Amino acid sequence: MNRSRDRLMHLLVVGMILAGTWQIAEGGYIKAKAWLAQYLLQSAWETTQAGEARVRPWPWADTWPVARLRVQRLGIDQVVLSGASGRTLAFGPGHIPGTALPGVAGNSVVSGHRDTHFRFLQHLRPGDRIELTPTSGARLMYAVVSTEVHDQSDLWLLDQGQALLTLITCYPFDALLPGGAGRFVVRAIPLKGAGLHPQAPLVADPEEQQRIYM
Amino acid sequence: MTTQKQVNHLGRDMWFTSLASLLAGVVTSLLLGLLVFIFISPVKAAEPVGSSSAEPVRPDQVQRGSLLLRPSSGDVTIQAPLLQTEAEMNISGMLARVTVRQRFRNPGTDWVEGSYVFPLPEAAAVDRMRLRIGERLIEGEIHEKGAAKKVYETARRAGKKASLLSQERPNIFTTAVANIAPGETVQVEIEYQQAISHSQGQFRLRFPLVVAPRYIPGRPLPNRDVAAFQGNGWAQNTPEVPDASRITPPVVASDRPLNPVSIDIRLDPGMPLSRLESVYHAMAKEKDEQGIYHLALQDSMVPANWDFELLWVPTPGSAPQAALFNEQWQGDEYALLMLMPPTPAASTAVRVPREAIYVIDTSGSMHGDSIIQARAALKLALERLTPADRFNVIQFNHQTTALFSQAVAATADNLQRARSYIDRLEADGGTEMLPALQLALEQQAERGVLRQIIFLTDGSVGNEQALFSLIHQRLGDSRLFTVGIGSAPNSFFMTRAAQFGRGTFTYIGKVAEVGEKMAALFSKLETPRLTDIKIRWPQDQQVEMWPARIPDLYQGEPLLVALKLQQPNLQVTLTGDAAGTPWQQQVTLRGGAARSGVHQLWARRKIADLMDRKAQGVAEPEIRKMVLEVALSHQLVSRYTSLVAVDKTPSRPADQGLEHKALPTNLPQGWSATKVFGNLPQTATASEWNLLIGLLLLACGVLFSRWPGVGFGVRVGPVSDGKARGGNVL
Repeated sequence: MNRSRDRLMHLLVVGMILAGTWQIAEGGYIKAKAWLAQYLLQSAWETTQAGEARVRPWPWADTWPVARLRVQRLGIDQVVLSGASGRTLAFGPGHIPGTALPGVAGNSVVSGHRDTHFRFLQHLRPGDRIELTPTSGARLMYAVVSTEVHDQSDLWLLDQGQALLTLITCYPFDALLPGGAGRFVVRAIPLKGAGLHPQAPLVADPEEQQRIYM
Repeated sequence: MTTQKQVNHLGRDMWFTSLASLLAGVVTSLLLGLLVFIFISPVKAAEPVGSSSAEPVRPDQVQRGSLLLRPSSGDVTIQAPLLQTEAEMNISGMLARVTVRQRFRNPGTDWVEGSYVFPLPEAAAVDRMRLRIGERLIEGEIHEKGAAKKVYETARRAGKKASLLSQERPNIFTTAVANIAPGETVQVEIEYQQAISHSQGQFRLRFPLVVAPRYIPGRPLPNRDVAAFQGNGWAQNTPEVPDASRITPPVVASDRPLNPVSIDIRLDPGMPLSRLESVYHAMAKEKDEQGIYHLALQDSMVPANWDFELLWVPTPGSAPQAALFNEQWQGDEYALLMLMPPTPAASTAVRVPREAIYVIDTSGSMHGDSIIQARAALKLALERLTPADRFNVIQFNHQTTALFSQAVAATADNLQRARSYIDRLEADGGTEMLPALQLALEQQAERGVLRQIIFLTDGSVGNEQALFSLIHQRLGDSRLFTVGIGSAPNSFFMTRAAQFGRGTFTYIGKVAEVGEKMAALFSKLETPRLTDIKIRWPQDQQVEMWPARIPDLYQGEPLLVALKLQQPNLQVTLTGDAAGTPWQQQVTLRGGAARSGVHQLWARRKIADLMDRKAQGVAEPEIRKMVLEVALSHQLVSRYTSLVAVDKTPSRPADQGLEHKALPTNLPQGWSATKVFGNLPQTATASEWNLLIGLLLLACGVLFSRWPGVGFGVRVGPVSDGKARGGNVL
């Protein structure tokens, strides 16, 4: 009787150790990927800045750098990728298709994971400066005007119409599980002389014609 | 003793083990991360952060006019008018006259103009609109669309009450009502004439209640011209759908649906009935001494979020085999002729091998009940295939994918693959219908094989014309059958696509209907149809018949044509081809029942036929000219004509402003707002959860390993001595 209970306990312990290791590896993998990817994306970003379009950071990637995002006060320097699918967001903040590309007049919306790249959004305050460098190379300065919490269905946040930089991440920041309905939204407006390209078309490339609704 | 010793010994081992695994976990995760980038070119050092100053922003640095952030969503400063709708239907035999009363009440404190986008049956001949203000009734007049709009705008600016009824699609209309005073109620009465569709012995009257959100393909047009009375839709106009903003009314997805509707029906079927039911809404029915049924909704009001359908079935043998309705109007004789062709003898029905292409819509609008209905219907359809048949399954949302690269034989193995494929279908994403139809129409079947495309969708798209053109051009010898799914399918798309595809349409509105509706469809798919139907008129007769070309008739479908003749009594001959056997029937047109409104049904059919020519490549100005002529003389609302009613005296004081408000509509029953309109991206991972759980598990493991008597195996431990292993006998 005791032997079978011992055996069970033994299995339980082995199981817990294995599952624990697996969970830590899984969580560590996400963090490590997010952290490493940003370093590795730099080279793709430099090639992009050198004039090459759509530099895939690795051969099978379905995304490419579209901008560089910096917040000096918080020591943030990240490469923004094209697209906001889960696969893209694992490597870096993603530009939401259908919104204005960085550097183009309109509302550029960038989203990122609250537990990795965009964790810093919670420290942004109105008046903070955000520097956004689009692929063209001209540096744009934005100033944070608001930080608000919205629902995930508030799609009007993506509305075009005025020149804005919108940063979106999940809310609350310390929630353990993903899938919540809250979104933390930072709005920033361009500063004078930011050099937006007002005449540029909303979408230059037909391949980027992705839709948000339906 | 030994046990004690062993525990201590193993406990130490255990600590080591867990630490080692923790280390291994971290190392593994880093290695995995590195592996992802194994193919990347050498990393260059990150450029130092730019030297821009970090001082706060001064107000003069802000670009002018850029701070226009919207307040929180759902902010309503001016309230939209509230709407209540009453539908009164008078059905007599095969004709129905319907009055729709829309009551707009202004609950706010400002003068408002309301616009409401609503559906009507796609074949409705809308010929009357009246504006009721208190006890006064103002009769609407038919005008060319632009002219009607001008009349309305002028009245609106002058502060007069006015209403405008215009058609956006054959099944989408807009009512605009100007100058509703605070607290006032204004009523718009719309009337239309309709012929009842009749198939396989069943009469069905559909009354759509909501315009489902449509998918608008294409990029928004760059400059949205801001003129008075624009569309107020959530979608912007695109090159593919230039009127997108007019067919996408604001949608409210809430637990308390808006826009209550009451429905009252007087039905004089003209024959004994074996079945009479309201398919989706509970109704109370009563039969009076004259054999006339009176029906009313059990809950006097229902929300406008689920299409209404009334079904009645005559007792066997009493179904009409022929019917003729006529009317004299402005010196001409108009007639509506219904004729049931003879059923082809069963012996002629040799089973022809078929190639069945099932196309299923898996866009976000199909989420929920709709995809369940579609999956069930599709699986039933697969059961009807025999090994001689070939088939394929195509699914589409914003992407099109096919199960097989081309049609395959319906072997048990392939059918099994298809079934598990169908089980896995999920509804999400956009509705790019064109590529899916292209793929389905691309291939052609071998000779002697009947190629049938069965298209399951809710038709929630805004680019119907482009789809019709494609079907018209690419159909070849294939036949297209539409199956409208869900609580508010686009009936215009369903009927017209089936007509261009020379097939038939079916509606499935709830899961319980799938069996019955699909069985009816299968009988049409599997029995030969009547083709090349022609009517021979006497030599000296000038007859204008619509539709100009009689469509093929499937089993149980009657021939239905609208005629304009010179004299009422005629002897005509019908000829056709029933699966290779010529068929002929003599008919005398005499003594039909005189009915008012027949000329309008004729005109409506003519307009529909003319509008179809757009897909066939006829230039729009030419069509417009012909449609205008018919619509204006018969007083019908069409794509080019609108009804407008204007009060004589101004009611709004000149110093009061007027706010425009688009009336919100419901999301159709069973739809999911997030699947249709999408969400902001999901921006969190479970990494922290994983780490926490991992640490907890490890901690528990360590604690448990100290449990007395737990002989912990050293197999995982990196360091152990032979003694310990030997002593660990479990």
